[in-house]
Amino acid sequence: MSKYLDLDLIEINNLLKNKVITPTDLVLECFDRIEKNKDLNCFITLNKEEALKRAKELEKLEITSLTYGIPIAIKDNIVTKDLRTTAASKMLENFIPIYDADVIKKINDSGMIIVGKTNMDEFAMGSSTQTSYFGHTKNPWNKKLVPGGSSGGSAAAVGSRITPIALGSDTGGSIRQPSSFCGIVGLKPTYGRVSRYGLIAFASSLDQIGPMTRNVYENAVVLNTICGKSENDLTSFNTKEDFTRLIDSDITGMKIAIPKFYVNDAIDKEIIDKLDSVVQILKSKNCTIDYVDIDYIDKAVPLYQIIAMGEASSNLARFDGVRYGYSYEDPENIDDLYLKTRRFGFGNEVKRRIMIGSYLLSGENATTYYNKAMAIRNKMRNSFLDVFKNYDLIIGPTATTKAYKLGADLDDAVKTFMDDILTIPVNMAGLPGMNLPIGFSNDHLPIGMQIIGAPFDEAKIYQLGSFIEKELNLDLNPGGDTNE
Amino acid sequence: MNKYIPTIGIEVHVELKTNTKIFSSSKNGYGQMANSLTNVIDLGYPGTLPTVNIEVINTAIKAAHVLNCKIRRTQHFDRKNYFYPDNPKNYQITEARTPIGYDGYVEIEVDGEHKKVEIEEIHIEEDTCKSAHRGKVSLLDFNRAGVPLIEIVTKPCISTSMEAKLYLEKLRELLFYSDISDCKMEEGSMRADANVSIRKSVSDPFGVKCEIKNIGSISNVKLAIEKEINRQSKLLDSGETFKEQTRRFDDKLDDTVLMRVKETGNDYRYFPEPDIPYIVLTDEMVDSAIKSLPMLPDERRKIYISRGVSPINANKLISNRSLSDYLNKFIDTDLDFMEATNLLLGDISAYLNREEKSIEDTKLTIDKFSDLVKKISDNTLTSKNLKDILDKILEEDKTIDEIIKECGISNITDSSLLNDIVLKIIKDNPDSVNDYKNGKDRALKYLMGQIMKETKGSANPKLVNDILIQELNK
Amino acid sequence: MKDKLTKEEVLHVANLARIEITEEELESYQIKLKELLDQVNTVNEIDDNNTDYLIAPWQNNSEFREDSVGGMLDPKEVLKNTPRKSGNYIEVPVVISNE
Repeated sequence: MSKYLDLDLIEINNLLKNKVITPTDLVLECFDRIEKNKDLNCFITLNKEEALKRAKELEKLEITSLTYGIPIAIKDNIVTKDLRTTAASKMLENFIPIYDADVIKKINDSGMIIVGKTNMDEFAMGSSTQTSYFGHTKNPWNKKLVPGGSSGGSAAAVGSRITPIALGSDTGGSIRQPSSFCGIVGLKPTYGRVSRYGLIAFASSLDQIGPMTRNVYENAVVLNTICGKSENDLTSFNTKEDFTRLIDSDITGMKIAIPKFYVNDAIDKEIIDKLDSVVQILKSKNCTIDYVDIDYIDKAVPLYQIIAMGEASSNLARFDGVRYGYSYEDPENIDDLYLKTRRFGFGNEVKRRIMIGSYLLSGENATTYYNKAMAIRNKMRNSFLDVFKNYDLIIGPTATTKAYKLGADLDDAVKTFMDDILTIPVNMAGLPGMNLPIGFSNDHLPIGMQIIGAPFDEAKIYQLGSFIEKELNLDLNPGGDTNE
Repeated sequence: MNKYIPTIGIEVHVELKTNTKIFSSSKNGYGQMANSLTNVIDLGYPGTLPTVNIEVINTAIKAAHVLNCKIRRTQHFDRKNYFYPDNPKNYQITEARTPIGYDGYVEIEVDGEHKKVEIEEIHIEEDTCKSAHRGKVSLLDFNRAGVPLIEIVTKPCISTSMEAKLYLEKLRELLFYSDISDCKMEEGSMRADANVSIRKSVSDPFGVKCEIKNIGSISNVKLAIEKEINRQSKLLDSGETFKEQTRRFDDKLDDTVLMRVKETGNDYRYFPEPDIPYIVLTDEMVDSAIKSLPMLPDERRKIYISRGVSPINANKLISNRSLSDYLNKFIDTDLDFMEATNLLLGDISAYLNREEKSIEDTKLTIDKFSDLVKKISDNTLTSKNLKDILDKILEEDKTIDEIIKECGISNITDSSLLNDIVLKIIKDNPDSVNDYKNGKDRALKYLMGQIMKETKGSANPKLVNDILIQELNK
Repeated sequence: MKDKLTKEEVLHVANLARIEITEEELESYQIKLKELLDQVNTVNEIDDNNTDYLIAPWQNNSEFREDSVGGMLDPKEVLKNTPRKSGNYIEVPVVISNE
């Protein structure tokens, strides 16, 4: 089997330009890898026929971008015209979208080839890819472990080197946490950086699509492709720039903050130790490292629960068996259609979150909880912004643990959110945040750190990230020999 | 007549006259093939997001202005969550908490007295889809889904069915004249709900309120309110109590019919729509929307009457928007409005009705019309002349003078020519001349008739009269 | 404080969300919803009367769409994913009219 897909994008691009290989070679190699890693269950739907057709079409076109001909995996909550999109739910088991998400248009325009739709937690609700209607995904470093979630299929696809690039979505950590579990680079961009049009909404004020890649540079390249104002998304921003521009520029003297909350007792000691060794490297480059307080950061999880589930309960109301998707076959009347379609179409975690969200918005609760949460969210964001007046970046761990066993914590509604206590504040404040692999645990599982930037300052995240990446020079390819 | 005091509040939904829907670029249209005016946003497809039509905001600013409301500068939309098949996303996007207009009024005239019907608020929202019921199923047409609406809510300050009717008529006139809506109740572009309660005395608390939904015409609103007051009065008379309920007006039964008893407080779970950031209106937006408003009916009425048009004709003009707009082009000229109005409502209207045309479709340029009015005012043209040449005036590019010349009636005001004709008639009718001189008025009429006959009716009658008397008295 | 929600409370929420629940689920929701409530209640303990709400993290200048007609779907496409249809219409089990 060829190994072109292990090369970096620049090397692949040169081979394509010199006509050593064609996009078809890359697509075929990718599907070989998909076949070989079938047991990981990274994909819900494959797109082989169309991908090969697209590869042939591309061969007639001029090579204009670094991503030309590169296979990409797309999280299955991003709608793709004529390609089944399920959000990992029975509700959309047979749903064929009739339009493309904004990011899909950009992906296609830049010459990338969509090879399939990746597994995820149902409607992105979960942190382990175990709530999927299509079965769980396995961690490429150890098949008994979860890949993280909700973008677990995308993380495992890139982690196992099936595809060099995947798209994920992140509402409370759904790109960064699985990236940390699978040893890849995953960025949640600033809220508004990437159009959400065509992303099946979980929590509208928190959701953001982002790139998941093998290294920092390629992450920046993909963000270059997918970012920008869309006339379809009023919350998107016009901020075209080259995100690779600061990569390789000197980080000496950078001012970096670590929230005190990010080094608490709930976090695995191995993770804190790895972060410490990074801190030592940064100090050796004369970086300032200070520990800071951020208002209400310890309340981020309950605030998130109120806002995310409130919004979710409304966003998922449209799945009612009337216009598309699963529909209960033999309803007695309209209410029966609603009640049974939603009973049988949604999985337990999704139903639980809709129930909670509906409850938190009902009657007086809207004022007691939701309005209050919005006000405190505002204060927390402002506190983050205050930190960025004095510091270039914030760092901390991405997750409190390394990848854990499949089957754990599936039914613990409170515990599932604790996975995300370090990632949720970033969504709440609308900031960009990235997972960067910084080493391995004793049992050789990837450990990640989080780099958080000021709004719209992804370039600086990439600057620091690529510096640490080069210093550490980790071998992040799990290869075939995973510990079973 | 009734021993109870009614309290009435009215909610009106009006579809705005825009090209596209409020949150998508689908056409805002009526009477098209089912589900042909939709896109993925109107259908509530997964992943879709709303965008805000600028014209909806502009139109709502206009509405707030003409209904004398204060205009809120920072607004956000809310989601109103409820399951219903006509509600594609199962939430409706509406300005629940920050209505664009508030604290306004509409002035009506009741029995010669002016009364202000107070407007509580005007808010913007999206229309639902249309459902038709066929036995065991309902059929959904999403063409209407997402059509922009404003809801205009009065305070409970209306005390009679007549006031309600006058309010709705005034409201319709205002909104229609401001280009805000077609206000066609029969097509559903204006829909009214009435909240009615009664009580014994003004010092009592308000009685139990019943809402009559979606009444199809203004006259039915009046009727429905009367029937509802009667129904509630009878219940109270007999000592019965009743619950808050929603009713509809059945025009076959000529009465209100129960739809449902209201549940205790609908739980709509409102929260701010996160897909639409705050909307902030700039001075420029507000000013330019208001500036673009056409002249409103009350001001038109005032101007017409001040320029000699009778109140009846002024109202007739206003009820014909295109004629009123046409006449308004002459406000800054010294055109004789009385004569112009007679012409517009008379021969010109007759022509337009017959030909099923609007005045804008004719060749009646501003210059031609003002020339025509002048020639009628100074008797250059008789009404007979006008009848003969009106079709030509309206259908041909020629000037009035050219048409007059072409039809051979250019010389009728030539007094020397008329003089000759008068002398001829006097000479030919000595008996009548004698009669006149003996004080018989009829003779003068006869002689006039002869002259007109001689000139085939195209002589200027005033001029003929003058010359004739002058000659007879010689 | 009570340690679980009443059945009526849970049923009310299930009805708002239009999710049919089993007797078993009802009982488990009575407890689970309460657990979550206790957790989110810590937000309520924050003494803060700020009413400056954050709706979206970053406020764009108000941006609007020009009022010109764009692409629309063919009725066939509208009905492509529809479970029940009749002619050009989407069909649903009967709704009691409120019109």
